[in-house]
Amino acid sequence: MTLRNKRFKSSLIALALAAASSAHAASVAITNAKVHTVTDAGVLENATVVIDNGVITAINPESVAADQVIDANGKVLTPGFISSMNQIGLVEVSAVAHSRDADAKKADITFDPSVAFNPKSSLISFTRKAGITANVTAPNGGDSMFKGQTFAAKLNGEFDSVFSAKNGVLVALGSESKGSRATNLLALTHKLEDAKKALDKAAKMAAKNGKGDKDKKEPKRSEQEINALLKGEKPLLVYVDRATDILAVLELKQRFNLDLVLLGAADAPLVAKQIADAEVPVVMGALRNLPGSFDSLHVNLANAGKLDKAGVNVVLTVDGDSHNAHQLRFDAGNAVANGMDYQEALAAVTANVADAFNLDTGRIAVGKPADIVLWSADPFELSTTVEQMWIDGEQQVLESRQDKLRERYTTSSEMPRAYTK
Amino acid sequence: MKKLMPSLVMVAVSVALTGCIQSEQQDAKVTINKNPYPSTYQTLPQQTTLIKNATVLIGNGERLDNADVLFVDGKVSQVGQNLAADGATVIDGQGKWVTPGVIDVHSHYGVYPSPSVESHADGNEMTAPNTSEVWAEHSVWPQDPGFNAARAGGVTTLQILPGSANLFGGRGVTLKNVPSHTMQGMKFPDAPYGLKMACGENPKRVYGGRKEAPGTRMGNMAGYRMAWAEAAEYKRAWEKYDADYAAGKNPAAPVRDIELDTLKGVLDGEILIHNHCYKAEEMAMMVDLGKEFNYHSGTFHHAVEAYKIADMLGENGNCAAMWPDWWGFKMEAYDMVEENVAIVDAMKNSCAVVHSDSGTTIQRLNQEAAKVMYRANENGFALTEADAIRWITSNAAKSLGIEDKTGSLEQGKNADVVIWNTNPFSVYALAEQVFVDGAKVYDRFDENYQAQSDFMLGQE
Repeated sequence: MTLRNKRFKSSLIALALAAASSAHAASVAITNAKVHTVTDAGVLENATVVIDNGVITAINPESVAADQVIDANGKVLTPGFISSMNQIGLVEVSAVAHSRDADAKKADITFDPSVAFNPKSSLISFTRKAGITANVTAPNGGDSMFKGQTFAAKLNGEFDSVFSAKNGVLVALGSESKGSRATNLLALTHKLEDAKKALDKAAKMAAKNGKGDKDKKEPKRSEQEINALLKGEKPLLVYVDRATDILAVLELKQRFNLDLVLLGAADAPLVAKQIADAEVPVVMGALRNLPGSFDSLHVNLANAGKLDKAGVNVVLTVDGDSHNAHQLRFDAGNAVANGMDYQEALAAVTANVADAFNLDTGRIAVGKPADIVLWSADPFELSTTVEQMWIDGEQQVLESRQDKLRERYTTSSEMPRAYTK
Repeated sequence: MKKLMPSLVMVAVSVALTGCIQSEQQDAKVTINKNPYPSTYQTLPQQTTLIKNATVLIGNGERLDNADVLFVDGKVSQVGQNLAADGATVIDGQGKWVTPGVIDVHSHYGVYPSPSVESHADGNEMTAPNTSEVWAEHSVWPQDPGFNAARAGGVTTLQILPGSANLFGGRGVTLKNVPSHTMQGMKFPDAPYGLKMACGENPKRVYGGRKEAPGTRMGNMAGYRMAWAEAAEYKRAWEKYDADYAAGKNPAAPVRDIELDTLKGVLDGEILIHNHCYKAEEMAMMVDLGKEFNYHSGTFHHAVEAYKIADMLGENGNCAAMWPDWWGFKMEAYDMVEENVAIVDAMKNSCAVVHSDSGTTIQRLNQEAAKVMYRANENGFALTEADAIRWITSNAAKSLGIEDKTGSLEQGKNADVVIWNTNPFSVYALAEQVFVDGAKVYDRFDENYQAQSDFMLGQE
């Protein structure tokens, strides 16, 4: 267990190169890669991917012309992974109140925390090192069953990295420490019913008058959000575990033609067929296998694989603290170890996430944003590392505050550590 | 720690002297039963077992390829090539890996069990900053489904600790991970007790929030010191009583104090310290605190900043129990480095341990150790699987004071064994068979060896 001589770190070179993001990055061709497209094209061996001006411009072109050519030597290229349902960019230290912007006692359906997103949070460079190029951040909300709205950000640390705001309405249903689970379920149903009635009435009036009713007051902001759900403009994201609650929201989906996404969904395997038939994705933690409550007696490490086999689009997420989001690739590996198809597990951390939240990323295809990762080997394996990463075509720095601390305390010095920077 | 001369000898001497020395009439000697809730653990049905042609990680830093493992009468008999044994159950280990049973030094299974309903929150006696009188074993619900989940992850031994709300949280207990409907049926025979202490944010937040002491880190230190000073007095009082009684006098015994019994047990060297302590400067103070009151400061748990004082930990013989990458949930966990365990491990006389403190990651301590190994090797270390397995086996056993009984596949130790389907440092590794004292307690392919807790039985 001796320390080997330190290798010179390529990340430091990258650091020097990444001085300031230029308006137009050089075009890059990555050749001889094992490309997981996560599209119908499947896996391409010894393939070439060309990126230019932030997007993927060619896959296996007749001839390669690019400012920079990178030989992948058969290594694995995937779409960047997408973590979700955490508080990255809203929470720096969970127990430090002044570094928390995900909770708000009075939060309601209009709560849009994307304006509080901090692209300079130390979680971002750390999470990026795990092959994660984008993240769906979720507020925790407050007293209301409506917890607010999700947003998505690229993990490039730039001030303009939020690329999709207010892209999902969060609702928490299920068991209650005070009161009945029926209350929230009824409240949600009534909100949708009332809004639908008002919309139908307005449509009738408009048809009668030939155009919109000018005297009609604009609906309140909260009403506009419910209307957006009824128009299918954004998904309703529902935290729910017990099978009865899942069936109840599936019924709401059918009745009001909602774009529905289930979150957690511990009992999903009991009603997998109904979920699959309704074409509703399930966002779940792969490692959840302890019966935390009477709503989650059927959790199992095999659930992700079971749901996938039943035809459900599975999205894998890391349960718990946002600082653990970097575990996503290992969680996917554990899902595979417990019976999930490998390619489906890969989709569950890329394309399926993008589809559930209507994000334009998550696949390697011409025209897609160049959010791609070159891995040393199988991305799910513990021994694998990210070798290179591009977000919107920009090569990313793969160094975090943690690396700095390690270097400080493993570099010998006559002086106090504080002088080692 | 200088041990007292055993009082039995003193009694014998005093009896011998009564023939010639007039002594006052003595009342019955007052003694304290140190094991009032003894283990009733019985080895499960077992047989001589021979695993053939596996990759074997011994747990002492050695690795043997294409090796056989033989266990007889619940003990490791031999590890080597071309072993044979009459009447042994033979297991084909081709392509498989064998390791010692996994040990978690930090679990709250049973005291914070699933389901985590209000009436199950039994791990933190948050009623006073010093609750050395409480024993985690008295809260353990042996039907926690977590025990079975951890067994499927190769865990054969685990320490159940009280939580970290208090300066002194109470005694921990080391359990064998075998199904039982009583706590005593799981209790690891002759394992020393542990005392949970906590540094830093938790105690000062819990009690400071109530406008009680401690409200600051200096208040934490004062609380420890006052407790140890009182414990030292208590210890002296008992020693004086024992000495006077042995001299033929009839002294009044000190008033029994259950809280001080535990602290005295530490001062007597019988109870080991397990100290929730994240930060470098706090660990350095806890080491000095131990020296001030003449006890050893034991194992630092959640030691996120252990890498900053790795040399000091080695010099003082402390274990550090760490996560590979948990961080950021509070200030004292902000300075995580993924190579923490490896940096501690690289020091002379080190005792680096990977722990869970989690009902989830306890099921994958092999993967937790793997993350450290690979990240460290990417950054200048040259660790092997044989090195890394020590963090969740022999070093963990050392931390718990049971390294003479388990933690490696050396001859004569308990046959606590895991057979993995592949290299356990792969994300795809699964424990296929698990043995405790040579008895099969888990088999991935045989439902007869997949225990289910009472709570889960018959749930639709």
